[in-house]
Amino acid sequence: MLAPRARVAAVHAILIAYCALAVGPILLVVMNSFKARNAIFGAPLAPPSAATFSLIGYEKVFRASHIGVYFANSLIVTLVSMALVLLFGAMAAWALSEYKFRGSTALALYLSIGIMVPIRLGSVAILSMLRAAGLNDTLTGLILVYIAQGLPMAIFILSEFIAQIPRDLRDAARCDGVPETRIFFEVIAPLLRPAIATVAVFTIVPIWNDLWFPLILTSSDSTHTITLGVQQFLGQYITDWNSVLAALSMAILPVVAIYVVFSRQLISGLTAGAVK
Amino acid sequence: MAEPLSQVVASMPRGRFVALMALFLGPAVAVYSLFSIWPLIATMGLATYANDAGGGYRFVGLANFVSLFGDAVWSKPFVNALVNNLIFFCVHMLVQNPIGIALAGLLSLPGLKLKGLYRTLIFLPTMLSVVIVGFSWNLILSPLWGVASGALKAVGLGQWFAPWLGLPSTALVTLALISVWQFVGIPMMLIYAALLNIPDELIDAARVDGLGHLRIFLHIKLPLVLPTIGLVSILTFVGNFNAFDLIYSVKGALAGPNFASDILGTFFYRTFFGNQLQLGNPTMGAAVATVMFFIILAGVCLYLFIVQRRMRRYAF
Amino acid sequence: MANLRVAGLHKNYGSTRVLSDIELDIADGEFVVLVGPSGCGKSTLLRMIAGLDAPSAGDIFIGGRLVTALAPAERKIAMVFQSYALYPHMDVRKNMTFGLKFTGVAPKERARRVAEAARMLRLDELLDRYPRDLSGGQRQRVAIGRAIVREPAVFLFDEPLSNLDAALRISTRVEIARLHRLLRATIVYVTHDQIEAMTLADRIAVMNQGRIEQVGKPLDLYYAPANLFVAGFIGSPAMNFFPAEVESVAGGEARLTGAAMAPLVLPADGLAKGAKLTLGVRPEHLTLRGETGFAAEGVVELVERLGEASFAHVRRADDKMLVAEVRGRDTPEPGQTVTFRAPARELHVFDAEGRRIAGAG
Repeated sequence: MLAPRARVAAVHAILIAYCALAVGPILLVVMNSFKARNAIFGAPLAPPSAATFSLIGYEKVFRASHIGVYFANSLIVTLVSMALVLLFGAMAAWALSEYKFRGSTALALYLSIGIMVPIRLGSVAILSMLRAAGLNDTLTGLILVYIAQGLPMAIFILSEFIAQIPRDLRDAARCDGVPETRIFFEVIAPLLRPAIATVAVFTIVPIWNDLWFPLILTSSDSTHTITLGVQQFLGQYITDWNSVLAALSMAILPVVAIYVVFSRQLISGLTAGAVK
Repeated sequence: MAEPLSQVVASMPRGRFVALMALFLGPAVAVYSLFSIWPLIATMGLATYANDAGGGYRFVGLANFVSLFGDAVWSKPFVNALVNNLIFFCVHMLVQNPIGIALAGLLSLPGLKLKGLYRTLIFLPTMLSVVIVGFSWNLILSPLWGVASGALKAVGLGQWFAPWLGLPSTALVTLALISVWQFVGIPMMLIYAALLNIPDELIDAARVDGLGHLRIFLHIKLPLVLPTIGLVSILTFVGNFNAFDLIYSVKGALAGPNFASDILGTFFYRTFFGNQLQLGNPTMGAAVATVMFFIILAGVCLYLFIVQRRMRRYAF
Repeated sequence: MANLRVAGLHKNYGSTRVLSDIELDIADGEFVVLVGPSGCGKSTLLRMIAGLDAPSAGDIFIGGRLVTALAPAERKIAMVFQSYALYPHMDVRKNMTFGLKFTGVAPKERARRVAEAARMLRLDELLDRYPRDLSGGQRQRVAIGRAIVREPAVFLFDEPLSNLDAALRISTRVEIARLHRLLRATIVYVTHDQIEAMTLADRIAVMNQGRIEQVGKPLDLYYAPANLFVAGFIGSPAMNFFPAEVESVAGGEARLTGAAMAPLVLPADGLAKGAKLTLGVRPEHLTLRGETGFAAEGVVELVERLGEASFAHVRRADDKMLVAEVRGRDTPEPGQTVTFRAPARELHVFDAEGRRIAGAG
């Protein structure tokens, strides 16, 4: 076996190499989005210098597409869906774990089916249902679908967190005569704050990055989300490398920024949810 | 789970209890049933219909399925998509999971510095939209830009370069590898969490017993995280057979070149919505979705069966 | 079996010094217990002997061989952990033989050792079971069995009884003592329980804040503690301490006064006027009878009756508590004002730094 020092060095070398592989392509795209066209092709691996720096791609993106609208749409859909998933999911998880009644086990099982079975397969019927309700091509339609998509996993995760809350708290509140609804909203709910990070990881990312439902359920430009908007822009301007790289970078940077800021919470959320 | 009703619950008047449950469970169950379960059932129902001459639907029983499996017009692309999906899945199982396990193993070594940084960086691609990933790699691998070919030339493997995304023989595997690149963070994190769960004293005991780090990983750590690897596998299975976004954003609905990258997701999309080559056929699309559902269901049932029988989560 | 020597051991974690200047000499076949409060460094020291952590400075010798830089497997040691650390995915037999496989022990030899250890620990019927099917006491025996089959030079025990209930603790303690005699093993045993230390050890090393306060036979530590810490740690209930000052020295005698005691006259060897001292007296040496020697007065607050003996908790003049052992007719009632006395020869005298000046035994 290698000497301990050499072994540590080898481990770091492997990890660094993989990180380069993981981050490299992203860096490449972002770097080149700030370069003039000939510099992109001439020296793709070089970072932008004073001579090659150019924002022409970004200008084009802002001019030719409504990227601001797309971004706003994504924000609305994601945040509202997340909030409602948390609210409905917490209430349901609480009811299922606290009030055992006949059929509550069956109900819990019913709700957990959605974890494994992908909701997309029902798109045919979802589309016709939304059309019939006049919710086709609206953000509301998207939100409803995403709530349904996110609930099973959220309920599962929240149930695990609720199981950790000591019984004594609820018993004490009951002895004090606090009504059930207030027990949930004022005693239990605040204690679920750590769960928000975990639920967020499993809910926000799939919604923000989803292409399928915006593609199927929205038709007009004003309801497009950013993922769909970028995808269509890319399809349209595929030969305009500056714009393409700029659009990609604009889609990358917000996510990366949020991720870097919240990475610790996100990752601990993921590991907390997985450690059962 | 058959606990007796708590005293509080049992002493509540029935009407109030029902109202309470409606408040807590109602919204979740309603939205979920309406937008998740019902559409699935409706789709399966729709699959038993077909377009009739007058533009409406008539009941045809299992005729759509018969066409799907028997009629060459449908069965050829269907089988093509199915086989491709299996290949897609196999690449993930053979590449994504071992890399994820290896990275998790490295990151869980005691006393490793910069752990958090590595974790953050390796997980970064998973946060990105598939559209971004697909397009970025499309550009990088493109012979026009020359980044990939240049990189290979730099290490002396220049002659290995080919426009992999454009060749029917390599397009699917390349796309699968791009997907692996993006999603390896998830098995890595799940297995990493499971490895952390193993008590330090167990590893100490193994060190005292004379095992080196590699042997500890193979004989102690790996067997103890097998349940998590099983979970990762089934999640990969469900995810792969549901996959669509990457292929669509790189190759479009036609999943070229020449349907070489067509998987069940794109096949379903194309069948249902149509494209420049064919009209949309909702009932056939529903049939495809139904078949996909049963394939995924079969996989999940198999997984649950295996988990029930063999794999136990070890309590420490 | 072999002897063990620790020389000049230090350990720092960053800027925190966790072990200072540890010197320990353990003879072949000796049972030495490292005892002390939480955080004193006893487990850290054990892990260093095992090779699981490296010292910042110092050396460790096993059987005369320098092992400081060697991995645990190369030191010929075996360790029993507090939480047993059994491999959950292997049965008992595999748990015991797993390590032997990788150190090149032949299958026949492995089987022989397992059978031998199983017989010694009454594990014969359990060999095919899994850890999850065993009780705490059975798991601990398997952990001990795993150590025995390695035929090590030194056995290391890290608080092995802490996870067991009270009754099981006593029976396992007896078991460990029996094994020590049977195998004539060199054992280093870590515990925070001074009763375990007193009953099991050939010698005890009392540790506090990374240092060894005193090493010696159990009764030596009991009757002649080297400092305040050892005096207060060994013995339950703990020794009573009385702060005192030398008021005057005349004619070879020193007159001592203190807030919670009556003035006392002791031989003045080495005592100077004005010296601040601490007097120690054990609960069992305090009595309501007698007339001379040490005396302390107070009000009885509580009497704990344990059968033949009882412990009286008395509030002293300086508002601290005194604990005395009382028997039979001498048992006072709560609320009574009493004076407890002790003969001068049972007193321990400690200087201002807590070091022993003179004492009983």
